[in-house]
Amino acid sequence: MENLMIAATERSPEVEFDFAAGRLSLKGESYPEDASTVFGPIFAALERFLEQVEGRDVRFDFNLIYFNSSSAKALMNMFQLLDGAAERGVKIEVNWFYAPDDETMQEFGEDFSEDLEHVTFNLVATGD
Amino acid sequence: MTIPAPGPEGGNTASGAERLAPHYRTFKHMLDARGILFSFSGYLSEGILYSLGDTLRQKMTLDDTDVTTIKKVFSVFIEQAQNIIRYSAEKVLGTVGKNVELSSGMVIIGTENGKFFIVCANTILEEDVPRLRQRLELLQKMDKDEIKAYYKEQLREAPEEKSRGATIGLIEIARRASEPIEFDFERIESDKFFFCLKVSI
Repeated sequence: MENLMIAATERSPEVEFDFAAGRLSLKGESYPEDASTVFGPIFAALERFLEQVEGRDVRFDFNLIYFNSSSAKALMNMFQLLDGAAERGVKIEVNWFYAPDDETMQEFGEDFSEDLEHVTFNLVATGD
Repeated sequence: MTIPAPGPEGGNTASGAERLAPHYRTFKHMLDARGILFSFSGYLSEGILYSLGDTLRQKMTLDDTDVTTIKKVFSVFIEQAQNIIRYSAEKVLGTVGKNVELSSGMVIIGTENGKFFIVCANTILEEDVPRLRQRLELLQKMDKDEIKAYYKEQLREAPEEKSRGATIGLIEIARRASEPIEFDFERIESDKFFFCLKVSI
């Protein structure tokens, strides 16, 4: 499956989905005018990948600085998708990175992790 | 034709009119006296939202505001500005090389009593008033934990039809506020209201 690499824009995150290596990453900020335009293709690619990933370990790094409420909804959908795949037996590890002085991103990480039953979720404070 | 020579402090203005500098200084002073750091009134676009938001973060960083406060103010600003862009009843649509949709409204950011405040205002249709009022009243009555739980609940829900995400946006705004949100509606036309929302952080 072809990798998905999308450069960050002023209001959308950098996407690096290396499917062959099972390494996925979202990085930066997300407050686009229309979250579905940005997250639609990301979600679709992730869904296809998780259907055919069997037997491989997946690592997903979230290194987000800020996202708006409609992006939060899209992220929640993504976590539900990941948790569903993990329930089916795919080994998925999520790393949620946040700056140590950023309570908002830490709290978002905690919020998302509470809903995940099958994914291994790590809250990781990054160095200053 | 004689061009009047400017006085020691003056500039050229049409005779009889109020002088330019005092006129706009009074206006600026009025904003400054209310603690306003930024104010925007007029047609808002995503480009303006980005630039204003970026400058706001830079200004707060230069003032040594803590990271969490910057995040909260920025987040409320973005949600409010995007609400104006989506829901203002005063819009112009058309094609200027690409499709353009400009929405009229007002966003103000300032400080008072040691807190930041963000006000947004725009015209809305009368038919949208009851639902918006109901949502805001609900949020106004909730405490921090209830707002957080409500946010999580809405995060899992599919978006309401036609809402384009307003529910979660308003909850995000209420969640970042350090005091209950304030809002008001004023009738301005037979089918339109002026809507204001004030959030303190």
